[in-house]
Amino acid sequence: MQVVRNCTKLFTPPVQIRNSSNALVKNQNLAPFVNRNPRNLERMRIAYKPDGYHVEKPGKNYWHKLNVTLSGKYVTATITHFENGEVLRASTSEWCIKKYLYRGKDTSAFINLGRILGFRCLQTGLTEISCDLEPKEDSKVALFLKALEDSGVQLKEPTQFKAIYPWHYERPEKPWEVVE
Amino acid sequence: MSKVLLKLNTLPCLGGYENAFALFIRKGHHLRGKPPGVAKSLQQKLSELNIKDPSVHYKVDIGLPPVQVSRAQQVQERLDHLKQQRNDKELERLSRNRKLIVNLEESNKDWLATVGPQHLRKIAEHYGVFKDLFGDAYFYPQVPLNILYDTNQVYYGNIIKPEDASQTPQVTFDSDNDSFWTLIMTNPDGHFSNNDKEYVHWFVANIPGNKIQNGETIVEYLQPFPPKGTGYHRHIFILYKHSKKLDFSPYKTQGLTLTDRTFNTYDFYKTLQDNITPAGLVFFQSDWSPSLKTFYHNVLKMKEPIYEYDFPAPYIRPQDWYPKRKPFNLYLDKYRDPKEINKEFLMRKLKNIHPFKAPKPEPLYPNAQFIDKDVPSWLKTEIKKSRLKWGRINEIE
Repeated sequence: MQVVRNCTKLFTPPVQIRNSSNALVKNQNLAPFVNRNPRNLERMRIAYKPDGYHVEKPGKNYWHKLNVTLSGKYVTATITHFENGEVLRASTSEWCIKKYLYRGKDTSAFINLGRILGFRCLQTGLTEISCDLEPKEDSKVALFLKALEDSGVQLKEPTQFKAIYPWHYERPEKPWEVVE
Repeated sequence: MSKVLLKLNTLPCLGGYENAFALFIRKGHHLRGKPPGVAKSLQQKLSELNIKDPSVHYKVDIGLPPVQVSRAQQVQERLDHLKQQRNDKELERLSRNRKLIVNLEESNKDWLATVGPQHLRKIAEHYGVFKDLFGDAYFYPQVPLNILYDTNQVYYGNIIKPEDASQTPQVTFDSDNDSFWTLIMTNPDGHFSNNDKEYVHWFVANIPGNKIQNGETIVEYLQPFPPKGTGYHRHIFILYKHSKKLDFSPYKTQGLTLTDRTFNTYDFYKTLQDNITPAGLVFFQSDWSPSLKTFYHNVLKMKEPIYEYDFPAPYIRPQDWYPKRKPFNLYLDKYRDPKEINKEFLMRKLKNIHPFKAPKPEPLYPNAQFIDKDVPSWLKTEIKKSRLKWGRINEIE
Protein backbone atom coordinates (compact mmCIF):
# COMPACT_ATOMS: atom_id res chain seq x y z
CA MET A 1 0.00 0.00 0.00
CA GLN A 2 1.11 3.51 -0.74
CA VAL A 3 2.45 5.56 2.14
CA VAL A 4 2.06 9.30 2.03
CA ARG A 5 3.50 11.16 4.96
CA ASN A 6 2.85 14.84 4.64
CA CYS A 7 -0.63 15.28 3.23
CA THR A 8 -2.26 13.79 6.27
CA LYS A 9 -4.28 16.63 7.68
CA LEU A 10 -7.09 17.20 5.22
CA PHE A 11 -10.68 16.63 6.14
CA THR A 12 -13.40 16.85 3.53
CA PRO A 13 -16.29 19.25 3.98
CA PRO A 14 -19.23 17.74 5.84
CA VAL A 15 -20.41 14.60 4.12
CA GLN A 16 -23.83 14.72 5.64
CA ILE A 17 -25.68 17.37 7.53
CA ARG A 18 -28.68 16.54 9.65
CA ASN A 19 -32.05 17.75 8.43
CA SER A 20 -33.26 18.27 11.95
CA SER A 21 -35.01 21.52 12.76
CA ASN A 22 -35.74 24.23 10.24
CA ALA A 23 -35.00 27.00 12.71
CA LEU A 24 -31.27 26.37 12.44
CA VAL A 25 -29.38 28.43 9.91
CA LYS A 26 -27.49 26.68 7.21
CA ASN A 27 -23.80 26.18 8.02
CA GLN A 28 -21.70 28.58 6.01
CA ASN A 29 -18.00 28.96 5.36
CA LEU A 30 -17.29 25.32 5.92
CA ALA A 31 -14.00 24.93 4.13
CA PRO A 32 -11.94 21.73 4.38
CA PHE A 33 -11.07 21.37 8.00
CA VAL A 34 -7.48 21.04 9.15
CA ASN A 35 -6.60 19.81 12.60
CA ARG A 36 -3.12 21.12 13.33
CA ASN A 37 -2.55 18.88 16.36
CA PRO A 38 0.53 16.82 15.42
CA ARG A 39 -0.54 13.96 17.72
CA ASN A 40 -4.12 13.80 16.48
CA LEU A 41 -3.66 11.29 13.66
CA GLU A 42 -1.59 9.03 15.91
CA ARG A 43 -4.43 8.96 18.43
CA MET A 44 -6.90 8.32 15.62
CA ARG A 45 -4.59 5.46 14.50
CA ILE A 46 -4.28 6.72 10.93
CA ALA A 47 -0.93 8.48 11.14
CA TYR A 48 2.05 7.17 9.22
CA LYS A 49 3.96 4.59 11.21
CA PRO A 50 7.33 3.35 9.93
CA ASP A 51 7.49 -0.35 9.17
CA GLY A 52 11.21 -1.02 9.21
CA TYR A 53 12.39 -4.49 8.24
CA HIS A 54 10.50 -7.28 9.94
CA VAL A 55 13.71 -9.08 10.98
CA GLU A 56 15.34 -5.91 12.24
CA LYS A 57 16.09 -5.63 15.93
CA PRO A 58 15.16 -3.32 17.57
CA GLY A 59 12.19 -2.77 15.28
CA LYS A 60 11.13 0.64 13.98
CA ASN A 61 7.40 -0.06 13.94
CA TYR A 62 6.19 2.38 16.60
CA TRP A 63 4.96 5.90 17.27
CA HIS A 64 6.06 5.99 20.90
CA LYS A 65 8.43 3.49 22.45
CA LEU A 66 9.64 2.77 25.95
CA ASN A 67 13.37 2.47 26.63
CA VAL A 68 15.05 1.58 29.92
CA THR A 69 18.71 2.47 30.48
CA LEU A 70 20.75 1.28 33.45
CA SER A 71 23.81 3.11 34.66
CA GLY A 72 26.07 2.33 37.61
CA LYS A 73 23.82 3.85 40.25
CA TYR A 74 20.58 4.85 38.56
CA VAL A 75 17.81 3.75 36.19
CA THR A 76 16.39 5.96 33.46
CA ALA A 77 13.20 5.28 31.54
CA THR A 78 12.46 7.32 28.44
CA ILE A 79 9.64 7.54 25.92
CA THR A 80 10.90 8.02 22.37
CA HIS A 81 8.91 9.22 19.38
CA PHE A 82 9.96 7.93 15.97
CA GLU A 83 10.39 11.46 14.58
CA ASN A 84 10.86 13.73 17.59
CA GLY A 85 13.23 11.53 19.60
CA GLU A 86 13.03 11.53 23.36
CA VAL A 87 9.86 13.28 24.53
CA LEU A 88 9.46 12.20 28.14
CA ARG A 89 11.77 10.81 30.77
CA ALA A 90 11.95 9.76 34.38
CA SER A 91 15.13 8.81 36.16
CA THR A 92 16.04 7.87 39.70
CA SER A 93 18.89 10.36 39.38
CA GLU A 94 16.36 13.23 39.34
CA TRP A 95 16.30 14.90 42.72
CA CYS A 96 12.50 14.72 42.94
CA ILE A 97 12.71 10.90 42.89
CA LYS A 98 16.11 10.29 44.44
CA LYS A 99 15.06 12.32 47.48
CA TYR A 100 12.51 9.68 48.48
CA LEU A 101 14.49 6.50 47.68
CA TYR A 102 17.04 4.58 49.69
CA ARG A 103 18.96 3.40 46.63
CA GLY A 104 18.85 4.41 42.98
CA LYS A 105 18.84 0.94 41.46
CA ASP A 106 17.21 -1.49 43.89
CA THR A 107 13.84 -3.19 43.34
CA SER A 108 11.93 -0.44 45.15
CA ALA A 109 13.56 2.13 42.87
CA PHE A 110 12.37 0.22 39.78
CA ILE A 111 8.82 -0.09 41.11
CA ASN A 112 8.59 3.57 42.07
CA LEU A 113 10.12 4.67 38.77
CA GLY A 114 7.36 2.70 37.00
CA ARG A 115 4.69 4.46 39.05
CA ILE A 116 6.16 7.90 38.46
CA LEU A 117 6.68 7.39 34.74
CA GLY A 118 3.11 6.06 34.52
CA PHE A 119 1.83 9.20 36.26
CA ARG A 120 3.78 11.42 33.85
CA CYS A 121 2.51 9.43 30.85
CA LEU A 122 -1.09 9.92 31.95
CA GLN A 123 -0.44 13.62 32.52
CA THR A 124 0.96 14.01 29.03
CA GLY A 125 -1.67 11.90 27.29
CA LEU A 126 0.75 9.19 26.12
CA THR A 127 -1.31 6.21 27.24
CA GLU A 128 -0.34 3.66 24.59
CA ILE A 129 3.34 2.95 24.23
CA SER A 130 5.04 0.13 22.41
CA CYS A 131 7.57 -1.85 24.39
CA ASP A 132 10.16 -4.34 23.09
CA LEU A 133 11.42 -5.36 26.51
CA GLU A 134 11.01 -9.03 27.39
CA PRO A 135 12.35 -9.29 30.92
CA LYS A 136 12.54 -12.48 32.97
CA GLU A 137 9.67 -13.07 35.32
CA ASP A 138 10.04 -11.33 38.69
CA SER A 139 13.11 -9.39 37.56
CA LYS A 140 13.42 -5.71 38.41
CA VAL A 141 12.50 -4.61 34.88
CA ALA A 142 9.42 -6.86 34.96
CA LEU A 143 8.32 -5.21 38.21
CA PHE A 144 8.94 -1.82 36.63
CA LEU A 145 6.72 -2.73 33.66
CA LYS A 146 4.03 -4.07 35.99
CA ALA A 147 4.00 -0.84 38.00
CA LEU A 148 3.77 1.11 34.74
CA GLU A 149 0.81 -0.97 33.56
CA ASP A 150 -0.92 -0.74 36.94
CA SER A 151 -0.82 3.04 36.73
CA GLY A 152 -2.91 2.88 33.54
CA VAL A 153 -0.46 2.83 30.63
CA GLN A 154 -0.92 0.21 27.91
CA LEU A 155 2.33 -1.34 26.74
CA LYS A 156 1.04 -2.02 23.28
CA GLU A 157 0.23 0.33 20.46
CA PRO A 158 -2.66 -0.15 18.05
CA THR A 159 -1.72 -0.94 14.48
CA GLN A 160 -1.96 1.72 11.82
CA PHE A 161 -5.33 1.88 10.10
CA LYS A 162 -4.61 2.00 6.39
CA ALA A 163 -6.91 3.44 3.74
CA ILE A 164 -9.59 1.14 2.31
CA TYR A 165 -9.99 1.17 -1.46
CA PRO A 166 -12.91 -0.33 -3.45
CA TRP A 167 -10.88 -3.37 -4.60
CA HIS A 168 -9.98 -4.44 -1.05
CA TYR A 169 -11.55 -7.67 0.18
CA GLU A 170 -12.82 -6.51 3.54
CA ARG A 171 -14.16 -3.36 5.12
CA PRO A 172 -12.69 -3.22 8.63
CA GLU A 173 -14.42 -1.03 11.18
CA LYS A 174 -13.11 2.54 11.27
CA PRO A 175 -11.66 3.22 14.71
CA TRP A 176 -12.97 6.80 14.86
CA GLU A 177 -16.55 5.67 14.28
CA VAL A 178 -16.57 3.51 17.41
CA VAL A 179 -17.99 5.51 20.31
CA GLU A 180 -17.42 3.91 23.68
CA MET B 1 28.61 -24.62 -2.66
CA SER B 2 32.27 -25.54 -2.22
CA LYS B 3 33.16 -23.27 -5.15
CA VAL B 4 31.57 -20.29 -3.47
CA LEU B 5 33.40 -20.97 -0.23
CA LEU B 6 36.66 -21.29 -2.08
CA LYS B 7 36.21 -17.96 -3.75
CA LEU B 8 35.36 -16.22 -0.49
CA ASN B 9 38.38 -17.72 1.23
CA THR B 10 40.79 -16.73 -1.49
CA LEU B 11 39.75 -13.08 -1.46
CA PRO B 12 42.71 -11.05 -0.17
CA CYS B 13 40.64 -8.63 1.90
CA LEU B 14 36.93 -7.89 2.21
CA GLY B 15 37.05 -4.26 3.26
CA GLY B 16 37.16 -2.34 0.00
CA TYR B 17 34.40 -1.07 -2.21
CA GLU B 18 35.44 -3.20 -5.23
CA ASN B 19 35.48 -6.31 -3.09
CA ALA B 20 31.93 -5.63 -1.99
CA PHE B 21 30.92 -6.28 -5.60
CA ALA B 22 33.17 -9.34 -5.80
CA LEU B 23 31.11 -10.96 -3.03
CA PHE B 24 27.99 -11.01 -5.19
CA ILE B 25 28.88 -13.95 -7.37
CA ARG B 26 25.47 -15.55 -7.78
CA LYS B 27 24.63 -15.54 -11.46
CA GLY B 28 21.53 -13.70 -12.50
CA HIS B 29 21.28 -11.63 -9.31
CA HIS B 30 22.11 -8.02 -9.86
CA LEU B 31 22.56 -5.34 -7.25
CA ARG B 32 20.84 -2.10 -8.13
CA GLY B 33 22.94 0.84 -6.96
CA LYS B 34 25.61 0.73 -4.32
CA PRO B 35 25.67 -2.16 -1.85
CA PRO B 36 24.22 -1.70 1.66
CA GLY B 37 26.75 -0.14 3.99
CA VAL B 38 28.25 1.88 1.17
CA ALA B 39 24.99 3.46 -0.02
CA LYS B 40 23.34 6.06 2.21
CA SER B 41 20.43 4.91 4.31
CA LEU B 42 17.03 6.61 4.16
CA GLN B 43 17.75 8.23 7.50
CA GLN B 44 21.02 9.71 6.22
CA LYS B 45 19.34 10.99 3.08
CA LEU B 46 16.48 12.57 5.03
CA SER B 47 18.82 14.24 7.51
CA GLU B 48 20.76 15.73 4.59
CA LEU B 49 17.51 16.96 3.04
CA ASN B 50 16.15 18.48 6.24
CA ILE B 51 19.33 20.25 7.23
CA LYS B 52 18.61 23.55 9.00
CA ASP B 53 20.83 26.59 9.11
CA PRO B 54 21.27 27.58 12.79
CA SER B 55 21.67 31.25 11.83
CA VAL B 56 18.14 31.22 10.34
CA HIS B 57 16.22 28.48 12.16
CA TYR B 58 16.71 29.34 15.77
CA LYS B 59 14.23 29.64 18.62
CA VAL B 60 13.86 32.50 21.08
CA ASP B 61 13.12 32.13 24.77
CA ILE B 62 10.33 34.56 25.68
CA GLY B 63 9.59 33.22 29.16
CA LEU B 64 10.48 34.23 32.67
CA PRO B 65 14.12 33.74 33.71
CA PRO B 66 14.75 30.56 35.72
CA VAL B 67 14.61 30.81 39.50
CA GLN B 68 18.16 31.44 40.75
CA VAL B 69 19.33 29.14 43.54
CA SER B 70 22.75 28.98 45.10
CA ARG B 71 24.31 25.81 43.74
CA ALA B 72 26.67 25.38 46.71
CA GLN B 73 23.82 25.70 49.17
CA GLN B 74 21.65 23.31 47.16
CA VAL B 75 24.41 20.68 46.98
CA GLN B 76 25.02 20.97 50.72
CA GLU B 77 21.31 20.55 51.49
CA ARG B 78 21.05 17.54 49.20
CA LEU B 79 24.17 15.90 50.64
CA ASP B 80 22.82 16.39 54.15
CA HIS B 81 19.50 14.88 53.11
CA LEU B 82 21.20 11.86 51.53
CA LYS B 83 23.41 11.34 54.57
CA GLN B 84 20.36 11.38 56.80
CA GLN B 85 18.66 8.90 54.46
CA ARG B 86 21.63 6.53 54.55
CA ASN B 87 21.27 6.24 58.32
CA ASP B 88 17.50 5.78 58.21
CA LYS B 89 17.01 2.15 59.26
CA GLU B 90 13.25 2.25 58.64
CA LEU B 91 13.70 3.48 55.05
CA GLU B 92 16.28 0.77 54.42
CA ARG B 93 13.92 -1.91 55.70
CA LEU B 94 11.01 -0.62 53.58
CA SER B 95 13.22 -0.46 50.50
CA ARG B 96 14.55 -3.98 51.05
CA ASN B 97 11.03 -5.41 51.49
CA ARG B 98 9.71 -3.60 48.38
CA LYS B 99 7.28 -1.65 50.56
CA LEU B 100 8.69 1.81 49.85
CA ILE B 101 5.96 3.86 48.15
CA VAL B 102 6.90 7.33 46.95
CA ASN B 103 4.15 9.93 47.29
CA LEU B 104 3.35 10.92 43.69
CA GLU B 105 1.89 14.32 44.59
CA GLU B 106 4.95 15.41 46.56
CA SER B 107 7.33 14.05 43.97
CA ASN B 108 5.40 15.87 41.27
CA LYS B 109 5.65 19.13 43.22
CA ASP B 110 9.41 18.70 43.49
CA TRP B 111 9.58 17.83 39.81
CA LEU B 112 7.90 21.10 38.84
CA ALA B 113 10.30 22.99 41.11
CA THR B 114 13.42 21.35 39.62
CA VAL B 115 13.61 19.80 36.14
CA GLY B 116 9.87 19.96 35.40
CA PRO B 117 9.92 23.11 33.22
CA GLN B 118 12.57 21.58 30.91
CA HIS B 119 10.53 18.38 30.55
CA LEU B 120 7.35 20.38 29.96
CA ARG B 121 8.96 22.42 27.20
CA LYS B 122 9.91 19.19 25.47
CA ILE B 123 6.41 17.72 25.73
CA ALA B 124 4.82 21.01 24.61
CA GLU B 125 7.10 20.99 21.58
CA HIS B 126 6.05 17.40 20.93
CA TYR B 127 2.44 18.59 20.85
CA GLY B 128 3.39 21.54 18.61
CA VAL B 129 2.13 24.08 21.15
CA PHE B 130 4.84 26.71 20.65
CA LYS B 131 4.99 26.29 16.88
CA ASP B 132 1.27 26.90 16.40
CA LEU B 133 0.94 29.65 19.01
CA PHE B 134 4.20 31.58 19.01
CA GLY B 135 6.00 30.59 15.81
CA ASP B 136 9.72 30.55 16.53
CA ALA B 137 9.45 31.41 20.23
CA TYR B 138 9.22 29.12 23.24
CA PHE B 139 9.22 29.41 27.02
CA TYR B 140 9.76 27.29 30.08
CA PRO B 141 6.52 27.14 32.14
CA GLN B 142 8.03 28.43 35.39
CA VAL B 143 4.75 29.01 37.26
CA PRO B 144 2.83 25.79 38.04
CA LEU B 145 -0.78 26.27 37.01
CA ASN B 146 -3.55 24.15 38.56
CA ILE B 147 -6.75 24.01 36.55
CA LEU B 148 -9.45 21.72 37.81
CA TYR B 149 -12.74 20.76 36.14
CA ASP B 150 -14.78 19.08 38.88
CA THR B 151 -12.63 15.94 39.13
CA ASN B 152 -10.48 16.23 36.02
CA GLN B 153 -7.30 18.22 36.33
CA VAL B 154 -5.75 19.75 33.23
CA TYR B 155 -2.13 18.64 32.83
CA TYR B 156 -0.04 18.61 29.67
CA GLY B 157 -2.08 16.86 27.01
CA ASN B 158 -4.40 14.52 28.92
CA ILE B 159 -7.84 13.74 27.50
CA ILE B 160 -10.93 15.48 28.91
CA LYS B 161 -14.33 14.92 27.29
CA PRO B 162 -16.39 18.02 26.32
CA GLU B 163 -19.17 17.23 28.81
CA ASP B 164 -16.64 17.09 31.66
CA ALA B 165 -15.36 20.55 30.70
CA SER B 166 -18.75 22.25 30.35
CA GLN B 167 -18.39 24.48 33.42
CA THR B 168 -15.80 27.15 34.22
CA PRO B 169 -12.83 25.45 35.91
CA GLN B 170 -11.18 26.34 39.19
CA VAL B 171 -7.82 28.02 38.71
CA THR B 172 -5.06 28.26 41.29
CA PHE B 173 -1.43 29.35 41.08
CA ASP B 174 1.18 30.86 43.35
CA SER B 175 1.71 34.58 43.12
CA ASP B 176 2.99 37.57 45.04
CA ASN B 177 0.55 40.40 45.73
CA ASP B 178 2.10 43.00 43.40
CA SER B 179 1.92 41.30 40.05
CA PHE B 180 -0.98 41.00 37.61
CA TRP B 181 -1.84 37.98 35.51
CA THR B 182 -3.85 37.21 32.40
CA LEU B 183 -5.20 33.77 31.58
CA ILE B 184 -6.20 32.82 28.02
CA MET B 185 -7.64 29.52 26.84
CA THR B 186 -7.54 28.93 23.10
CA ASN B 187 -8.06 26.09 20.66
CA PRO B 188 -5.66 26.25 17.69
CA ASP B 189 -7.16 23.17 15.99
CA GLY B 190 -10.82 23.97 15.70
CA HIS B 191 -11.27 27.03 13.47
CA PHE B 192 -13.98 26.38 10.88
CA SER B 193 -12.88 28.78 8.14
CA ASN B 194 -9.28 29.91 8.74
CA ASN B 195 -6.93 27.14 9.74
CA ASP B 196 -4.18 29.50 10.95
CA LYS B 197 -6.47 31.10 13.52
CA GLU B 198 -7.67 29.97 16.93
CA TYR B 199 -10.90 30.23 18.87
CA VAL B 200 -10.61 31.91 22.24
CA HIS B 201 -12.61 29.96 24.83
CA TRP B 202 -11.84 32.04 27.89
CA PHE B 203 -10.02 35.29 28.56
CA VAL B 204 -9.57 36.63 32.06
CA ALA B 205 -7.33 39.69 32.28
CA ASN B 206 -5.68 41.74 35.02
CA ILE B 207 -5.93 39.14 37.75
CA PRO B 208 -4.47 40.76 40.90
CA GLY B 209 -2.28 38.22 42.72
CA ASN B 210 -3.85 34.80 42.50
CA LYS B 211 -7.45 35.94 42.98
CA ILE B 212 -8.98 34.95 39.67
CA GLN B 213 -12.47 36.05 40.76
CA ASN B 214 -11.20 39.67 40.92
CA GLY B 215 -9.99 39.52 37.33
CA GLU B 216 -11.67 41.20 34.41
CA THR B 217 -13.47 38.71 32.15
CA ILE B 218 -12.86 39.80 28.57
CA VAL B 219 -14.39 36.71 26.92
CA GLU B 220 -16.80 34.41 28.73
CA TYR B 221 -16.00 30.73 29.10
CA LEU B 222 -17.11 28.41 26.29
CA GLN B 223 -16.82 24.64 26.55
CA PRO B 224 -14.82 22.62 23.98
CA PHE B 225 -16.80 21.60 20.88
CA PRO B 226 -14.61 19.49 18.59
CA PRO B 227 -16.73 18.53 15.53
CA LYS B 228 -17.36 14.89 14.74
CA GLY B 229 -14.64 13.25 12.68
CA THR B 230 -11.93 15.85 13.28
CA GLY B 231 -10.23 13.99 16.12
CA TYR B 232 -8.52 15.46 19.14
CA HIS B 233 -8.21 19.21 19.61
CA ARG B 234 -5.71 20.86 21.93
CA HIS B 235 -7.18 23.36 24.38
CA ILE B 236 -4.32 25.45 25.69
CA PHE B 237 -4.28 27.63 28.81
CA ILE B 238 -1.50 30.20 28.92
CA LEU B 239 -0.85 32.39 31.93
CA TYR B 240 0.87 35.72 31.25
CA LYS B 241 2.50 37.85 33.90
CA HIS B 242 2.58 41.65 33.87
CA SER B 243 3.65 44.21 36.42
CA LYS B 244 0.85 46.76 35.87
CA LYS B 245 -2.78 46.80 34.80
CA LEU B 246 -3.18 46.70 31.02
CA ASP B 247 -5.96 47.70 28.70
CA PHE B 248 -7.41 44.66 26.93
CA SER B 249 -10.57 46.38 25.64
CA PRO B 250 -9.70 45.78 21.93
CA TYR B 251 -10.10 42.06 22.62
CA LYS B 252 -13.55 42.49 24.13
CA THR B 253 -16.18 41.05 21.85
CA GLN B 254 -19.74 42.27 21.35
CA GLY B 255 -21.51 39.04 20.60
CA LEU B 256 -20.40 35.58 21.49
CA THR B 257 -20.61 34.01 18.06
CA LEU B 258 -17.74 31.94 16.78
CA THR B 259 -16.58 34.66 14.37
CA ASP B 260 -16.16 37.03 17.32
CA ARG B 261 -14.08 34.47 19.11
CA THR B 262 -11.47 34.27 16.36
CA PHE B 263 -8.10 34.89 17.95
CA ASN B 264 -4.43 34.71 17.11
CA THR B 265 -1.98 34.29 19.98
CA TYR B 266 0.95 35.27 17.76
CA ASP B 267 -0.53 38.70 16.95
CA PHE B 268 -1.76 39.14 20.51
CA TYR B 269 1.69 38.51 21.93
CA LYS B 270 3.37 40.62 19.26
CA THR B 271 1.41 43.73 20.18
CA LEU B 272 1.88 43.28 23.93
CA GLN B 273 5.30 41.66 24.09
CA ASP B 274 6.93 44.57 25.93
CA ASN B 275 4.48 44.28 28.79
CA ILE B 276 3.53 40.62 29.20
CA THR B 277 5.56 37.47 29.74
CA PRO B 278 4.20 33.94 29.37
CA ALA B 279 4.73 32.11 32.66
CA GLY B 280 2.41 29.12 32.90
CA LEU B 281 1.19 26.50 30.44
CA VAL B 282 -1.24 23.60 30.68
CA PHE B 283 -3.33 21.99 27.97
CA PHE B 284 -5.74 19.13 27.41
CA GLN B 285 -7.07 17.27 24.40
CA SER B 286 -10.74 16.80 23.69
CA ASP B 287 -12.64 14.88 21.03
CA TRP B 288 -16.24 14.67 19.86
CA SER B 289 -18.92 13.15 22.05
CA PRO B 290 -22.66 12.62 21.39
CA SER B 291 -23.58 15.28 23.97
CA LEU B 292 -22.33 18.00 21.60
CA LYS B 293 -25.34 17.77 19.28
CA THR B 294 -27.57 19.75 21.62
CA PHE B 295 -24.73 22.19 22.31
CA TYR B 296 -24.40 22.98 18.61
CA HIS B 297 -28.15 23.43 18.25
CA ASN B 298 -28.85 25.44 21.41
CA VAL B 299 -25.70 27.45 22.04
CA LEU B 300 -23.97 27.92 18.70
CA LYS B 301 -27.29 27.91 16.77
CA MET B 302 -25.94 25.84 13.93
CA LYS B 303 -26.35 22.38 12.52
CA GLU B 304 -23.87 19.89 13.82
CA PRO B 305 -21.04 19.62 11.28
CA ILE B 306 -19.72 16.15 10.49
CA TYR B 307 -16.38 15.57 8.82
CA GLU B 308 -14.56 12.55 7.55
CA TYR B 309 -10.88 12.00 7.05
CA ASP B 310 -9.81 12.33 3.45
CA PHE B 311 -7.28 9.61 2.72
CA PRO B 312 -4.73 10.40 0.01
CA ALA B 313 -5.76 9.05 -3.38
CA PRO B 314 -4.04 5.77 -4.32
CA TYR B 315 -1.48 5.74 -7.09
CA ILE B 316 -2.77 4.02 -10.21
CA ARG B 317 -0.19 3.68 -12.96
CA PRO B 318 -1.08 5.00 -16.43
CA GLN B 319 -3.05 2.55 -18.50
CA ASP B 320 -1.18 0.37 -21.02
CA TRP B 321 -2.42 -0.34 -24.53
CA TYR B 322 -1.40 -3.97 -24.25
CA PRO B 323 -1.21 -4.89 -20.59
CA LYS B 324 0.60 -8.20 -20.28
CA ARG B 325 -0.20 -10.90 -17.73
CA LYS B 326 -2.94 -8.87 -16.06
CA PRO B 327 -6.43 -10.14 -15.18
CA PHE B 328 -8.39 -8.20 -17.79
CA ASN B 329 -11.50 -7.50 -15.70
CA LEU B 330 -9.66 -6.29 -12.58
CA TYR B 331 -7.24 -4.31 -14.72
CA LEU B 332 -9.95 -2.50 -16.65
CA ASP B 333 -11.99 -1.83 -13.50
CA LYS B 334 -9.14 0.28 -12.15
CA TYR B 335 -9.60 2.76 -15.01
CA ARG B 336 -13.39 2.90 -14.97
CA ASP B 337 -15.56 5.38 -13.13
CA PRO B 338 -16.23 3.79 -9.73
CA LYS B 339 -19.80 5.08 -9.80
CA GLU B 340 -20.43 3.14 -12.99
CA ILE B 341 -19.11 -0.05 -11.43
CA ASN B 342 -21.21 0.43 -8.32
CA LYS B 343 -24.27 0.99 -10.50
CA GLU B 344 -23.60 -2.30 -12.22
CA PHE B 345 -23.47 -4.12 -8.89
CA LEU B 346 -26.62 -2.38 -7.70
CA MET B 347 -28.55 -3.25 -10.86
CA ARG B 348 -27.55 -6.90 -10.49
CA LYS B 349 -28.74 -6.85 -6.89
CA LEU B 350 -32.04 -5.15 -7.65
CA LYS B 351 -32.78 -7.68 -10.38
CA ASN B 352 -33.40 -10.32 -7.74
CA ILE B 353 -35.34 -8.11 -5.35
CA HIS B 354 -39.12 -7.99 -5.65
CA PRO B 355 -40.61 -4.61 -4.70
CA PHE B 356 -43.54 -6.08 -2.76
CA LYS B 357 -42.48 -9.53 -1.63
CA ALA B 358 -40.26 -10.23 1.36
CA PRO B 359 -36.63 -10.92 0.43
CA LYS B 360 -35.56 -14.55 0.13
CA PRO B 361 -33.65 -15.89 3.13
CA GLU B 362 -29.88 -15.94 2.70
CA PRO B 363 -28.56 -19.44 1.96
CA LEU B 364 -26.72 -21.05 4.86
CA TYR B 365 -23.71 -21.91 2.70
CA PRO B 366 -23.69 -19.17 0.05
CA ASN B 367 -20.83 -20.65 -1.93
CA ALA B 368 -22.35 -24.15 -2.17
CA GLN B 369 -24.73 -23.05 -4.92
CA PHE B 370 -24.55 -24.43 -8.42
CA ILE B 371 -22.87 -22.27 -11.07
CA ASP B 372 -23.52 -23.16 -14.71
CA LYS B 373 -20.77 -25.17 -16.42
CA ASP B 374 -20.45 -22.74 -19.31
CA VAL B 375 -19.64 -19.75 -17.11
CA PRO B 376 -16.01 -18.73 -17.65
CA SER B 377 -13.64 -19.09 -14.71
CA TRP B 378 -13.08 -15.34 -14.17
CA LEU B 379 -16.82 -14.81 -13.86
CA LYS B 380 -17.11 -17.75 -11.48
CA THR B 381 -14.53 -16.07 -9.26
CA GLU B 382 -16.48 -12.83 -9.38
CA ILE B 383 -19.74 -14.58 -8.49
CA LYS B 384 -18.06 -16.36 -5.59
CA LYS B 385 -16.56 -13.10 -4.35
CA SER B 386 -19.94 -11.40 -4.41
CA ARG B 387 -21.55 -14.30 -2.55
CA LEU B 388 -18.91 -14.14 0.17
CA LYS B 389 -19.18 -10.33 0.31
CA TRP B 390 -15.62 -9.78 -0.77
CA GLY B 391 -14.35 -6.78 -2.67
CA ARG B 392 -16.45 -4.30 -4.62
CA ILE B 393 -19.82 -5.73 -3.56
CA ASN B 394 -19.21 -4.01 -0.20
CA GLU B 395 -19.46 -0.61 -1.89
CA ILE B 396 -23.23 -1.06 -2.33
CA GLU B 397 -24.06 -3.30 0.63
